[in-house]
Amino acid sequence: MSRVLVRPRMTAPMPRVWRIVLVILCTLILCSCRAPRSARDGGPGMIGANSPALPRQASPGLPEEAYTGVVPAGANLPDDVPHGPPGMELGVPMPYTPTGPWAPPGIALPWPRDEYLADGGDAGVQVAVTADRQVRGLEMEDTVAHYNTLDGRTVVEPSNRVYLYSPRFASVRQVVGVKENEQMDRSVGVYLPDQAVSQEGRRGPGAHKQQVQVVGQIGEKSLTTFRSKQGDGAVSAATGPRSFKDGFQPYENLAMIRTGKYEAADMAWLARGSTAAIAWTHDQGLQVLLDSRSAAAVARHEKVESVFTVGEPPTQAKLRIVKVASTQFAEPGDTVDFTIRFDNVGSQPITRVTILDNLTPRLEFVANSAQSSVTANFTSSRNEGDSLTLRWELAEPLQPGRGGILRFTCRVR
Amino acid sequence: MLKPLRCPVSNKHICWAPVARQVMLVAILGLAAWPIRAQEPSVHFMYPPGLPPGAIGSQQLQRGGPLAGYFQPVEIRASEGALISLAEEGRFTAPQPVPLRVGMLVGQVYRFSVVNIPLREGAEVFPTIEVINRLYPPRGQETRFPIIIELTRDDVHLALAGKFVTRVVYLEDPARATPVRQIDKGQGWFEVGPGKDPLAVADVLGRPMAIVRLGGRVPDQPEAPDMGFLFGCPPLIKFPRPAAVSAPPAVQRAAAKADQPVIGEGGRTRR
Repeated sequence: MSRVLVRPRMTAPMPRVWRIVLVILCTLILCSCRAPRSARDGGPGMIGANSPALPRQASPGLPEEAYTGVVPAGANLPDDVPHGPPGMELGVPMPYTPTGPWAPPGIALPWPRDEYLADGGDAGVQVAVTADRQVRGLEMEDTVAHYNTLDGRTVVEPSNRVYLYSPRFASVRQVVGVKENEQMDRSVGVYLPDQAVSQEGRRGPGAHKQQVQVVGQIGEKSLTTFRSKQGDGAVSAATGPRSFKDGFQPYENLAMIRTGKYEAADMAWLARGSTAAIAWTHDQGLQVLLDSRSAAAVARHEKVESVFTVGEPPTQAKLRIVKVASTQFAEPGDTVDFTIRFDNVGSQPITRVTILDNLTPRLEFVANSAQSSVTANFTSSRNEGDSLTLRWELAEPLQPGRGGILRFTCRVR
Repeated sequence: MLKPLRCPVSNKHICWAPVARQVMLVAILGLAAWPIRAQEPSVHFMYPPGLPPGAIGSQQLQRGGPLAGYFQPVEIRASEGALISLAEEGRFTAPQPVPLRVGMLVGQVYRFSVVNIPLREGAEVFPTIEVINRLYPPRGQETRFPIIIELTRDDVHLALAGKFVTRVVYLEDPARATPVRQIDKGQGWFEVGPGKDPLAVADVLGRPMAIVRLGGRVPDQPEAPDMGFLFGCPPLIKFPRPAAVSAPPAVQRAAAKADQPVIGEGGRTRR
């Protein structure tokens, strides 16, 4: 007698609606991890990708080096950078000398963030400007600029973020009455024998063989062009002298601030208090003049021949905004100078340029310390952190290749 | 040979395919939800209130990290005129004027004495400091930014009156810091009632850094106190005396309630 196995009837396949729900659920879960915002958060590609040279024009208020980029004789760089082991300035070496600020693996500096005051950038919710020019999403510590383009768009551009090491402490106090208490403790004996345990583990030798198939891949890369407009080291014409009390400060001794031109030698200084210094560099391209008009040139090697393309760059609007601070360390009561350099690095004029700086609660704006190299309407309003939101609105449109400098002072609370 | 699977209730054959699909579905969902672990907030360990001095610091050390062996600079401030003597090698050293900067090991308990108390000359209190966390300043700035510990005149007088004062010093979160100047009004502080845990409140407001305990306990032999009273005299580093700062205020202006902590100066109610 033979036994026959009857194959059971297959159950109905999963309904289509459940499949769709499963795919949507998996997609939502996998997309729940936020990637770092590169452009909006001051990452690579934020500014300076196509920084044109700025034409030189006469402006009587600033020193000559503002237009030449040459460091004047006798100018001193900021000397608050420590050299040597911790405690060296006091003559007492620290017994524990880490090589630089410690941070957990995979965590970017500065860390931990609660020891630093931040100012600049556009963290959290991105800033947006409504049709009636109301600014939404401007959080504390944000510094952004918004402007109108020729085609009627309103563009928001964040600055880089500046960090100040300034920890501040507070305390929580509790006062209780002490009562006399007497407690008799009985001695307790515990007998807990441990049983001897023997453990033996054996693992057999294993062998593994994997056949790897040869994979061939042919990739085609299409011709890509990019616009690179490199100047001759000239200057911004908009660092005018209006209402500036004095020349450049020592901490502003950077070509980026003085002339609007990025120099590789400034990278280390810019990177000290910024998250976007690396984005300020750009590759130098070939300069071509056609009938005394500058044009972007693209040179790229593809296979064995070289391709040269000369054409007029497309019209685009781009505002670069860079922020630096006079110090990286501040104790409560210290004053810190901030300088904001803005340049129209696009190829079209921009209008209604407005720069906003929402100060963190621990930064107190020093009255009458706001300065501007261009004609601007400066106002301030109280923010949710009981500090101020500073606002500069330029009176005139900003032409391509022109820019300006804003400066103000804050006291660390 | 694979034996056919039967349902224990209906005694019907069960196909493996639907079961395998469901198991695979659960596995996929579990793997897909794994990245959510990266978004969990930082862990805050809860301690039972009333732990003895040194217990929290030692538990902090057990969790690892660059805490062990690090001398965290601490600046002790007190009322103007008060003198502080540190415990070294089993005895208190000569009193020194405030403010005083020393490097303390994380996780250890340091006993010191406060003498020459204004309006209470001749009296003496013996507070303790337990550093439970450290700062991570840029190189060369370690001694410039110490943990600030202020002993107000009110604290000392309460201790002399038989009260037990606990201060949990925490690092303020810059985004939620009180927008007041500290340089003029001294370190801001909140008061919690006897039923509250000051460490838990400080953990909500910022990052707890040190615990200061101040009571009326005095050593049996003031000249040579036992090592238990001095918590073993852990090593410390003396730093040069910083520039004089304004003395902390003596009296809290705002009234304190047990369930409503208020900021110490300025009368600004918070929370």
